[in-house]
This record gives sequence, C-alpha cells and structure tokens, in this order.
Amino acid sequence: MSRQAPLVIDNGTGYTKMGFAGNSEPSFVFPTVIATHQSASAGSSNTSGGSGARASPPIAGKPSHLASKRGIEDLDFFIGDEAVANSKTYSLHYPIRHGQIENWDHMERFWEQCIFKYLRAEPEDHYVLLTEPPLNPPENRENTAEIMFESFNVQGLYIAVQAVLALAASWTSSKVNERTLTGVVIDSGDGVTHTIPVAEGYVIGSSIKHIPIAGRDITYFVQQLLRDRGESAQIPPEDQLRVAEKIKEDYTYVCQDIVKEFKKYDADPYRYFARFAGEHSVTGRKYDLDVGYERFLAPEIFFNPEIYSSDFLTPLPEVVDTVIQTSPIDVRRGLYKNIVLSGGSTMFKDFGKRLQRDVKAIVDGRIAGSEERSGSHMKSSGVEVNVISHKRQRYAVWYGGSLMASTPEFYNVSHSRVDYEEYGPSLVRRFSVFGSAV
Amino acid sequence: MSNTLRPYLNAVRATLTAALTLENFSSQVVERHNKPEVEVATSPEVLLKPLIVSRNESERVLIEPSVNSIRLSISIKQADEIEKILCHKFTRFMMMRAEGFVILRRKPLPGYDISFLITNFHSESMLKHKLVDFIIQFMEDVDKEISEMKLSLNARARIVAESYLSTFA
Amino acid sequence: MILLESHSVIINDVLTDRFEKASRADIQFVDYDNVRFHLSTPESKTKLLLSMGIQCWPDLVKYGAREHLQKEYEGYLLPQEQTEPEYDVSLVVDLEQLPEGGEARSALISKLAHLKSTAMSSPFLSAFAEESSLQANYRDAGGAQQKDIAEQSETKGELKIVRYREEEAIYIQASNDRVTVVFSTVFKEETDKVFGRVFLQEFVDARKLNALQNAPQVRYSNREPPLEIRHLPGLHNGEDWGYVTFVLSPRHFANPSQAQQTINRIQLFRDYLHYHIKCSKAYMHSRMRYRVAEFLKILNRAKPEVAAEKKTASGRTFRTR
Repeated sequence: MSRQAPLVIDNGTGYTKMGFAGNSEPSFVFPTVIATHQSASAGSSNTSGGSGARASPPIAGKPSHLASKRGIEDLDFFIGDEAVANSKTYSLHYPIRHGQIENWDHMERFWEQCIFKYLRAEPEDHYVLLTEPPLNPPENRENTAEIMFESFNVQGLYIAVQAVLALAASWTSSKVNERTLTGVVIDSGDGVTHTIPVAEGYVIGSSIKHIPIAGRDITYFVQQLLRDRGESAQIPPEDQLRVAEKIKEDYTYVCQDIVKEFKKYDADPYRYFARFAGEHSVTGRKYDLDVGYERFLAPEIFFNPEIYSSDFLTPLPEVVDTVIQTSPIDVRRGLYKNIVLSGGSTMFKDFGKRLQRDVKAIVDGRIAGSEERSGSHMKSSGVEVNVISHKRQRYAVWYGGSLMASTPEFYNVSHSRVDYEEYGPSLVRRFSVFGSAV
Repeated sequence: MSNTLRPYLNAVRATLTAALTLENFSSQVVERHNKPEVEVATSPEVLLKPLIVSRNESERVLIEPSVNSIRLSISIKQADEIEKILCHKFTRFMMMRAEGFVILRRKPLPGYDISFLITNFHSESMLKHKLVDFIIQFMEDVDKEISEMKLSLNARARIVAESYLSTFA
Repeated sequence: MILLESHSVIINDVLTDRFEKASRADIQFVDYDNVRFHLSTPESKTKLLLSMGIQCWPDLVKYGAREHLQKEYEGYLLPQEQTEPEYDVSLVVDLEQLPEGGEARSALISKLAHLKSTAMSSPFLSAFAEESSLQANYRDAGGAQQKDIAEQSETKGELKIVRYREEEAIYIQASNDRVTVVFSTVFKEETDKVFGRVFLQEFVDARKLNALQNAPQVRYSNREPPLEIRHLPGLHNGEDWGYVTFVLSPRHFANPSQAQQTINRIQLFRDYLHYHIKCSKAYMHSRMRYRVAEFLKILNRAKPEVAAEKKTASGRTFRTR
C-alpha cells in the first residue's frame, strides 16, 4: 500500500503553518499559542465545551464532572485561534520564543492537538517534517526527537532548517534554472527579519544578521503616517491597527526612487491617491479615507530605516552585502547569485527588484573602486546579483518543506523509527541535507 | 514510610558516607592522566571491595569504592509490568539529561536501573553530606514518583474510558 | 480535548471558505485509518471535486457502502466510472447551485465533512438492520415454542469484517438481541502495549459503574482473539495484540440519529484509544521533566554557594560562608 503523505509542520514564533506534503499551501495557519486552564475550579468550562459546540449535544453536558476529576487536567486546553478565542477563561502561553522552543510541556501538548484535532492523522502512519531556526542547539533537536518518537510513535522524522527550506521553495521561480542550496535567505515575518547565508545546505552561522524591522513595524509606521496626515480622525480608535494592517497588505508597493515618487504624487494626486473604504467593526458606520504617500513609504523603512527608527540605521541591501562579505570567500559568488525572499513582509510589489538594484549598486561600486586602485590594470568580470521572488513567498518555509517531503529522497534522509530505537535521541545530532540530486 | 525503608536508607547513607573518602590519584598506567579508577579498573590495588545493600530481592544498591572514585548503582523496585516500563522510561529520561547531573552515569551497570559516578573532583567541589543527601532523596522520591505515575495512569485510563462510554446514552 | 471529533476539520474549513467565494483548490489530506482525501477544482472554480480513498473500501462495498452514500449524498455522488482515479468515491459540489440559506449550507458542509464516517457506517447499519429482522424472527419462533439449539445458532447474522487498517480489523456480527463489534488493534511499542492494557482494563471496569449501565458492554482480551471470531483464519495471537469487544444492545440504535451517533463514536474507538495512550505519554513526559528539574535542584544544593563579597559600612569587604 502506498505511503501516506508526510506531515509538514512549521512552528514559528508567531504562527504555526501545517499541512500535508505535496500541497502548495499549508492547510492550517494559526498562532503558536496554547491556552491552558490553571485554576482547579472546574465546572464552568469543561474540556469539551468548545468542541461540544460542534459535536453532538449529549456530550457537552456530561464530561463536566469528568473533567473536574483529578488526573486529566492536562487535556483541558486549546491551541491556535481557539486559544485566542478562549483567552478570557484560560491563560495564554507562547511555547516558542525567538524561534526556539522554550516550554516543552506546552509544545508537546500543542503538537498533540495539531496532529489529532486538526490534521487528524495517526502519527504512527506518517513521517513528520519539522522545522528549526538556524543555530538551534542540538539538545533542542534531541528533545524534539524524544517527543516525536516516544510520545507520538512517528514513523520517521526530519528536522529541517527553515532557511534551507526557503531556498528549496525558491526553485518554483522561473528565474531559477539551477537547483542549488546555496544562497542568502531574507526571512521577514512579523517580529524580526533575518538574513541567513546558506552554503550547500549548511547555514553559515557566524554571518547571520538580524534586523529589528519587520511586519509589525511597518504596520505601526503606516498608522503613524496616517495620523500625521490627519486621516486617522476618520478611523475609529479600536480599528486603527487593523486598518493600518489592511492598507499595508493591499495598497503598498516599493518605489524605485523616493523623490521622483513624491513628485509624481504631488503633480497628480488624484491618480495616485487611493481610497480606502472601511466599516466600523461594531456600529457598522461606513467611512473612507485617502491612502497617500504611505503606499510607497511603508516598505521604504527596509531601505531607509532612518525614516522610522532611530536605533537601527543600516539599510537592508547593506546588511545583505555585509552578510555575504563576512561569509567564506569561495561561496560569495553563489550567495550574490541567489538572494531568496521568504515570509509575509517580503511580499511588497517590486521589493525584490529594488533590493537587487541596491545590492548590485553596492557590489558594482566596490568593484569599480578596486579596479581603480589597481590602476585600471585589472578588470573584473563582474558579479551576478539576483534576488529571487516567487509566488510561494509567504509560506516559503512550509512550501519548501512540502516540496522536500514529497520527494522519494525524503525517506532516505529522514530518521526512521528503527534508527531511533537503535541509537536513541542523539540520532538527530547527525545532520543530513538533501543532496542536489533532488 | 514503611519500617524496612528507613533502615535500608540509613545503611546506604552510612556506607556511602564512609566510602566517600576520595583523594586525587593520578593514573598509574597512563602518565599524566587522572581517571576514575573504578571505571578503568586497571589497577586492582586501588579498588576496594564492592558492597551490596539490599532491602529485598528487587531493591538493592551496589557501592563500588576506589581510591579516587566511587560508583553507586541502584536497582529500583518494580512490582509489575507497568512499574517496570515507567521506571525504565524515567531513568532513561534522566540519563538523557546527564549533563546537568554531573554525577550521573549515562548508562547503568548491567542488572541495575541507574548508576552514579562520584569522583574526587566532585567530592572536592561539592559538599559531601549534601551529595549523600541527594542520593538518599533520589532513592526515596523515585519510588514515590513511579507509584504516583502508575496511579495517575490508572486514573487517566478510568476517566478516558468513562468519557467514552458515557457518550452512549 | 477528551473526545475526538468525527468530522474532518479541513473539509469543513475549506468548504466554508469556498462557499463564500469560489477559488481554485488542489489539496490532498488524510483522515484516521488510512483515509486519503483530494479536494480539487479540475474543471472550473465553481465545481469542487471531493474524492476519498479508503483502505477498506472493498469491504465496505460488500456491505452496501455505495448505496448508502448514494442515498446520503443524493445529487453529489459521481457514478463509479467517473470516480477520480486512485480514489474510491468522488463527490461534486457545484458552487453555483448551492442550497439557499446559511443553515442549509452549513448542514451540507457538515454532511460533507462527515464523508468518512458516513462511508464507514454502512456495515454497522446493515448489521443493525439484520438485528431487527433476526429479533422479529426470534420472537415469532419463540411464540411458536420452537426454540431449540439449531434455532439458537441460526440467530446469528453474517460476520462482517472491515479491514480498516493494514493489520487491524473490525468484526461486526448481529444476533437476535445484540450486535457484537470486535476491534483488533496492535501496539507497536513496549510502552504502548503496557499502557494499552491498562486502558482497556479500565474500559471493562468502568462499565460496571452504575452511571454507565446504559453503555455497551465491553470485554477485552489480549493474546487470544475472543470466541466470536476465533474460527477465522489468519488472526494474530501474541503480546502485541489486543481484542476489544463491544456488545451493542438495541437501545443503542433505536432511532436513526442515535444509531448514527453510536456508529460515529465506535468507529473512532481505535483512534481514541491510541490518542489517549499518546496523551498519557506526553503527560508522563511533563511529570518527568518536573521531577528531573526537582532532582537537579537537590543536587545543586550540594554545590557550595559562591561566596559573595559583602561590604561593610566602612567600605571593607568580607566573605560570608
């Protein structure tokens, strides 16, 4: 009988993306949060209270006395959106901080529901692909393996580095004709942006750089701009953040020249100003406002951070260049050739184009400089700079995982249950990368 | 506490305290090496007589002293299949985290469930009586923990069964 | 979450979304017991094709699954020859011809999300039907005072076998006053085996409670298959195997909705059991983490505190010990 599709679970700091290998989108995307019941006073909300709403009614009433019984409190919890919905009576916990799992008890239970409630898969029948941030300590991998094999009896496990999966996801782009695992990954989510150089599937840990500007900052910036132009008077206060987010997602783009763009808007505001129509979430009152310069200014904070922040002033193209320059010299060409975008905050229109132009300018400037210093005796053949953006950028890591896990090779590089029984959790310290044979 | 446990633990405590007289001792076999003699067992003259303190056929402690190290292996009570598997799980879980427990051996001696290795460096950098306290406390708590785990397993199973069956009205 | 739900969350979510706004889809996913789903829009955005591949389909067909689905999903089920290759059943939902009204739509969604349990229910339903006819016969016979041993053995219906997983099966047999359902299940690991035995024993014991007198009778045996199926060839004996027998009495399927509920519950029994074994292991892990941290604290007490330098008022330093 054919093997069942592997489960692909990407647990991020903010959101968990999960689904089955072979699909182009995760089946579930929800916050990585778990709501547990701390107080012992049971009865008001029982375990099946939430699910009971959808399940058959006779169940809802009865387990209340069961849930109060000692010994089963640990099943009384919600994850994801349901957790957020129940935050009034339960306390919320975020088991992952800065990409790394902090609370294993919560994480184990989080996975419990991921698999049994949402994916509805018997883990004994499936291989599982999990992701980890770069520089994850091996102890964490071991703990993960221990949980997956001992609690869930999974058939096999592969723990992939997120950046590597993002590289693999970029293979869908028509610009990529060579399937390599060398490149720089720019991963920008809600909280933080990473630039991670990867050489042949291995992360160059010493050169990773973090940028404290990401999706949330852009939203705040949009909100601030709206307020400065006096547009926010239209928006009900409680909706401000949501509106800013909506504008960020729907209207913004990256311009190629900020001064020209300003002139364009001033010359013909009617053409460039967009209208945003909103509705009050409670009263239903309609309102609309003009969306102006923030359309191109918002993503501009990646390229000119000084317009938003006073602490972090290095533009993204410069960071990318530094990352590559601090990497070993023999991979730098490969890195410049393959700069890959991943995560929701890289989705702005023309983001890749602008980044490519700016990085190219830095590189060309440096080449011109050294040519000059050599007294124009040496000529460089030039360095190819490529920024790859593609359709699957938003869930690039998950998509890369889905791609990887649907290849037959996946079963060879995964750690199988038999291996685990023989070697124990230290098995996952051995790191195997997908070859270029894929 | 049952009436045989107290003397058992007292005997272990006394033996262990007596055995914990360790000194720095360089290897006689390899120059400039310093190895726990009880583990390498290459110089019989520095090994002392091992001793078993036994409460009953299933619970016993083996103490193997030597000049610079002492190995202590514990066999934990396992009354039935469930306790056996829980004990196995627990000791394995703990030994996985042996880095934190500096005196824990990563593998138990054959025939025992868990082993500790205390060298003169440990006894010099740590308080000796507290080390002994730890071992005794461990022996006490591990029994308690395993029987509690067994109870909670049964309790869970009962609730699970009841919840399932109560849906058939 | 104590009980498992019997509908597929993915079907539910995707359909809810697509009923609002049609868009392309091509999703493959699974459900318990080797069930594969494929939800796609091969022709146009508005024609959703939902296919299901289910391992025990040959068994289910024998017990009238196709007819049952035909009845349940009237107008949606595609005929056999149009079924998507590699799958066993295909349904088509035309988003342009949805029933009017939110309630009707959510009813349809929930019905589609229960596709697997509906398909699995056919052998149970036919066993229930058999039981009532047997019962009727039995009564007639009893009235005529012709109860003899030959009659007794005839009051058993056909033994239905559903091989719902690779090695595990459900056996269903109707007789004049009950329907017996036997699950065989395998425990792949030592811990599972032991935990499984504890759980199964509790299922048997829990039934003895007064509050649960209405529940079906439960019996369990390991190593040896129960009497009902012992004559079958190829049964596994051994430590890793467990056999659970549920005896459903007529009140469990007195009316269609109750019957359906019973079926939904009972077909998930194996998954329920294994889910809870896994949860227990997770719980044990939590306990062990806590206990190990406690032990570590005790051990660390043996490390002498780093003597902090303290200052007196005059500025001289001293150490405390």
